Amino acid sequence: MHCAESGDRLRRATTVAATAAATTTKMMIPASDSGGASAGEEDPSLAKRVADRYLKREVLGEGTYGIVFKAIDTKTGQTVAIKKIRLGKYKEGVNFTALREIKLLKELKDPNIIELIDAFPHKGNLHLVFEFMESDLEAVIRDRNIVLSPADVKSYLQMTLKGLAYCHKKWVVHRDMKPNNLLIASDGQLKLADFGLARIFGSPDRKFTHQVFARWYRAPELLYGAKQYGAGVDVWAAGCIFAELLLRRPFLQGSSDIDQLGKIFAAFGTPKPSQWPDMVFLPDYVEYQYVPAPPLRTLFPMASDDALDLLSKMFTYDPKARITVQQALEHRYFSSVPAPTKPSLLPRPPPKGESQNHKPSDFISQDGPLVLSPQRKLRRVTLHQDGLEGNVYQLDKAGEHVKEVRNMDGTTGQSGSMPMSIDLGAVFGSRPPPRPTLNSVDRSHLKRKLDLDPEFDYH
Amino acid sequence: MADFQTSTHRSRWIFSPQELLEKREAANQRAAKSLEQFGVTRLEVHLDGSVSYVEPILDQKDNAERSLPKPLNCEEEQHMRIFYEQKIQEVCLAFKFPHKIQATAIMYFKRFYLQWSVMEHHPKHIMLTCIYASCKVEENHVSAEELGKGIQQDHQIILNNEMVVYQSLGFDLIVYAPYRSVEGFNEDMQEFCHARDEEQEKFKNFLQTANAEVDRIMLTDAPLLYPPGQLSLASLHRANEVHGVLDFERYLNILLSRQHSAYSTSQLFESLKSIDTLVGKLNIPTAKDMRHIDRKLKSCWDPSSQDENKKREKRSKHKSKRTASEMQGARA
Repeated sequence: MHCAESGDRLRRATTVAATAAATTTKMMIPASDSGGASAGEEDPSLAKRVADRYLKREVLGEGTYGIVFKAIDTKTGQTVAIKKIRLGKYKEGVNFTALREIKLLKELKDPNIIELIDAFPHKGNLHLVFEFMESDLEAVIRDRNIVLSPADVKSYLQMTLKGLAYCHKKWVVHRDMKPNNLLIASDGQLKLADFGLARIFGSPDRKFTHQVFARWYRAPELLYGAKQYGAGVDVWAAGCIFAELLLRRPFLQGSSDIDQLGKIFAAFGTPKPSQWPDMVFLPDYVEYQYVPAPPLRTLFPMASDDALDLLSKMFTYDPKARITVQQALEHRYFSSVPAPTKPSLLPRPPPKGESQNHKPSDFISQDGPLVLSPQRKLRRVTLHQDGLEGNVYQLDKAGEHVKEVRNMDGTTGQSGSMPMSIDLGAVFGSRPPPRPTLNSVDRSHLKRKLDLDPEFDYH
Repeated sequence: MADFQTSTHRSRWIFSPQELLEKREAANQRAAKSLEQFGVTRLEVHLDGSVSYVEPILDQKDNAERSLPKPLNCEEEQHMRIFYEQKIQEVCLAFKFPHKIQATAIMYFKRFYLQWSVMEHHPKHIMLTCIYASCKVEENHVSAEELGKGIQQDHQIILNNEMVVYQSLGFDLIVYAPYRSVEGFNEDMQEFCHARDEEQEKFKNFLQTANAEVDRIMLTDAPLLYPPGQLSLASLHRANEVHGVLDFERYLNILLSRQHSAYSTSQLFESLKSIDTLVGKLNIPTAKDMRHIDRKLKSCWDPSSQDENKKREKRSKHKSKRTASEMQGARA
């Protein structure tokens, strides 16, 4: 077929160059030529469109796994938050936590669960595109300018439980429920985020790590080292969040695992084996000195009877006897007056122009004092360090000038001028322990060590 | 995850036979075209999942004499895929991985090669990567190094291809395998038969056969055409032909009425029969069959070895009359 002259070689070479021009540099996966049906409506692979599809806006934060920035999805006009995860840095390939989050969020579609809009690699980074979230429940709870009525509390709790019920229905345990993983959209909807610790449960005899949840939200069975547990751990944490909504401060603030159990027992009384028969067989079980339970009413003086009843059921010691999320949603607390506030009418802090999307997740862990950038400092430092607030605020402002126009859509504009709503000195001055969470190093380490390796269940 | 109805598996990865054909043809054509244009089909994979063509290899001195290597046809590609899918099963068995890992890896492999030709991405590399990815996703993490070591392969291949695999899967990583439901159905069937204790053994064998049938079904196109529940019923149906433990049709009737299914028994039987046909037609290529295809692939993949290959190819044609035993182990 091909001509036999050496002159032809040249011609061929140029043809090749011409045809290859579009492709030589970096041809992206041609999923589009492969007929589309497989990839369905949205073609997952054409990474080119990070530039094409998403208009990059300001950086929202930075963490161990890379940065998070705000962007506009030109396809939908929607504001999104993009988590950028560096690739090729890890001995074990694509980041484990990111992969977990992707695989689960791809399947979980619910109004009360954060939407993963897209995932694609681009220029050496894996990009996860989430819907942009304005605030989070922690900010609501902490904002002393916000008054939460019983109806508001009910609404926030209901949305939390709805998201959780959806997960549990799909056999997913979240394992990192806490207020700053509950994000709040601009329409007031609360959504569960950060599925980096979440797992599919329900396989018999499957063993999990007990090193999950930030300590204050950890169920007693986890603190006693249980390796086989279920959705009840999320219910306990949701109970803690419920209590935190009522009290406007974290409910059980243990400074160590031992102390955490102590705090729990001080609140609900030391469990008796008759109350929780499996307790004594748990790996890390230790006997605590018996303390009787004070009446719950004394801890939550303002709560309604229904609220207290639900609360006590969510805090049941024996996970087998603990109320399920579905049952909790059917509890009369939700049907009695006052009706839950409509999400759009809920009080929430002024938008920060800074999505909470990313920050709470493991991609940006809370290594408090390690400050990587002003944006990040703002995020983290506010949690721990009183007095620094002013500086941080300045830093953030300074950073702002360097950055391009940020108040494109009005909602973001305020962040620069927004007064910090939290008086940190007042809120935290009297509170010694900083919010403990699992930092990402621990996390991946623990996951590898405890979750994955030991339980090769061989069939 | 236990909701197939709302899964990406159901919404995006169940096809019609026609769709499969078109996709594979498109990939095959693309590879054949790049062979014609560049003299090589192999794609360079980058860590971030992007790919590029390798340097065109067309201008050796005797361009005239040398004819281009021939691309694999669709049928040969299929043989290649089946061969490596079976390899996945072997490797997973050697590592004593759970069924689920193996099934997920095969599904990844199948889905991957709906987008690509085996001439573009070497199935050996993709096989390893799919196993690695499957372990990771199914939370049975094995390090790339360990996996590579276990089968004497460079683990860097795995890490290099990881992203291109995820990306080709559209990041739909949760896959529903038939093994779990085979177990479930088996238990249900025992109940249905009011199985007595002394019949336990019978059902155990029945289950074993059914699992072996799933292994075979996994090598066909059926997992891309039918939901996992039907795959498992098909395997149980086949197993029942051997063991005769129950009146299968009556069981299906009761099953469907119990679930208020929109399906009729005859419809379901139709599907099971089609799956049966696919398994019946399954032709697992032997090492001998593979030799020829493998060589062809090699010359598309790495044309510098072409001359040598061509000679060998000619020889192998004569050799094809030799006994199969002599050919065993030819492919190391």
